[in-house]
Amino acid sequence: MRTFYKSLVLLLAMAFIFPVSAANDFAEEKIVIQISDPDPLKQTQVLNVANNLIKHYGKNKVSIEIVAFGPGLRLLFKENVNSDRINSLTTDEVTFSACKNTIAAITKKLGHAPVLHSDAKPVAAGVVRIIDLVNQGYKLIKP
Amino acid sequence: MRVKKRQTKKLLITATIIGSIATSTVQAANWLMLQGTEPAGAAARAKLWGFVQAQYQKDDSDPNATGGYIPPKLIGPNLDSQSAFNVNRARIGVRGTGMPLDSNVNYFILAEFGNNGITAPDGYEAALTDASVTLNNIPGARIRMGMFKYPGAEEGLQAIHVFDYINFTTVTNQLLLERFPQSTDTNSGAQPTPEANMAQYSRSVGAFRDVGVQVFDTFKVNNWEHSYAVMLGNGNGLNYGDNDDNKDLYLYWSSEMVFGGKGGRREGLKLFAWQQDGTRTNAFDKTQEQDRTRAGLGFKYLSKPFRVTAEYMKGEGMIFQGQHRPGHIFNNEEASGSYIEAGWYVANTNFEIDLRYDTYTRGENHPTSATNDESRADTMTIGTQYHFNKKSRLNLEYADRDFESDTSVPHAQQKDVGGRLAVQFTHIF
Repeated sequence: MRTFYKSLVLLLAMAFIFPVSAANDFAEEKIVIQISDPDPLKQTQVLNVANNLIKHYGKNKVSIEIVAFGPGLRLLFKENVNSDRINSLTTDEVTFSACKNTIAAITKKLGHAPVLHSDAKPVAAGVVRIIDLVNQGYKLIKP
Repeated sequence: MRVKKRQTKKLLITATIIGSIATSTVQAANWLMLQGTEPAGAAARAKLWGFVQAQYQKDDSDPNATGGYIPPKLIGPNLDSQSAFNVNRARIGVRGTGMPLDSNVNYFILAEFGNNGITAPDGYEAALTDASVTLNNIPGARIRMGMFKYPGAEEGLQAIHVFDYINFTTVTNQLLLERFPQSTDTNSGAQPTPEANMAQYSRSVGAFRDVGVQVFDTFKVNNWEHSYAVMLGNGNGLNYGDNDDNKDLYLYWSSEMVFGGKGGRREGLKLFAWQQDGTRTNAFDKTQEQDRTRAGLGFKYLSKPFRVTAEYMKGEGMIFQGQHRPGHIFNNEEASGSYIEAGWYVANTNFEIDLRYDTYTRGENHPTSATNDESRADTMTIGTQYHFNKKSRLNLEYADRDFESDTSVPHAQQKDVGGRLAVQFTHIF
């Protein structure tokens, strides 16, 4: 029984020391893709890049997070024509992050909060999220 | 009153059901959506676009017994000679969403600088062909207002820069492409070249456009897309104002099984039907009015490497009698026609082979002549396209035409209508 408690304490300690992230910890490559551009073609390009990375490395060997902020946040609007592709990439464990600062700015402009894709995860600030991920060893790609 | 209430309730329920199956992500599905909407959440604030079409045409028709030529024997829009180089279309436009954050409003503006039936009548003058705003707020009932292509036949409604031929079929040119005479326009008999001057209409052709309001949308059900459009317009073509109190009603339905792809060359099987009802005032006697009706149905099948399209259309009233006879367009004649065309994309090359047969009969109930006083036009067109890339292509086509009439006078003018060669380069930007 003592061994059990010891193991539990050890596990909890490890959890605090090595916080669990959404990323695939067994990934050989960690990529963060930035979309902050109003150009609609960039939306397609960002999704293509994510798709091609998964094809190349295999979905268990690459961790991908797409961070949208500024005009690029439109990619994560619920109504976006690419929402089916976002659904598909989400099943491949791609993470989509939406900048809360941008959401606040858009809310002010529209008079109401934008309705985001259900898989979009709000983060405090898009650019800060990118810096955090880069510090964790992610490579930044901005198509 | 109770019946009315029940009907209203039924309508509301139907509208709600339609609204609930409407998917806002449906776009680039068909001409209604391609021209009237922008992709939600992914449209530019202002996308500059346009296209240029430069061509050469040569007509092989012979003159009548006295050396005169009628319009089908001459090259439009000027109808002065039998061969001509021309920049027949040079259009530039802007489209998008004024505020990219809000996909509920989009706009479309397009201007014509080429030399054609829009700009050439009464001296060359560039013209606005499209200027519209679409509101997408109501699920299942998008609202488009302004000047734009009315919902109708495939040949008129489709984007002209992806049209697979250079010249329209005779039935589309004569039955659907509306001409608007002015009281000062005069008729002309066949004239010799050069300077035959057979273009006697001084106002722009309708260009399959009208100014009005259209309610429309597309609904996706599995692999099928069902679209509808109801439009009310001036019935006065590209003219901004209305010349009378009569309005045109346009109805359109299409159902398409989508195979794949997107845009103007999306693959699928589309079935469609349409109707137009309007009334025209006689330009030469404003006390007279004439109903003008047009209706048609057809299908388009595209699954590369094959394409097949067929349409049948008929009309009554305001039947076109030639570009040299504006004084005869106010009539209650009937006309009908059809075409079938096929395309084959040659494997592993950039070539496409096109073949089209079209037929048109007008004057089926000519009021002032004997029965069977009809004019008929049959045309077989063979063409090829070379696609340099997705935005640039070269069309080459030859039309073998056979025109005839039951009565001797028009027959003498039409019997020598011959073949026509056309070459056209299109570049879209």
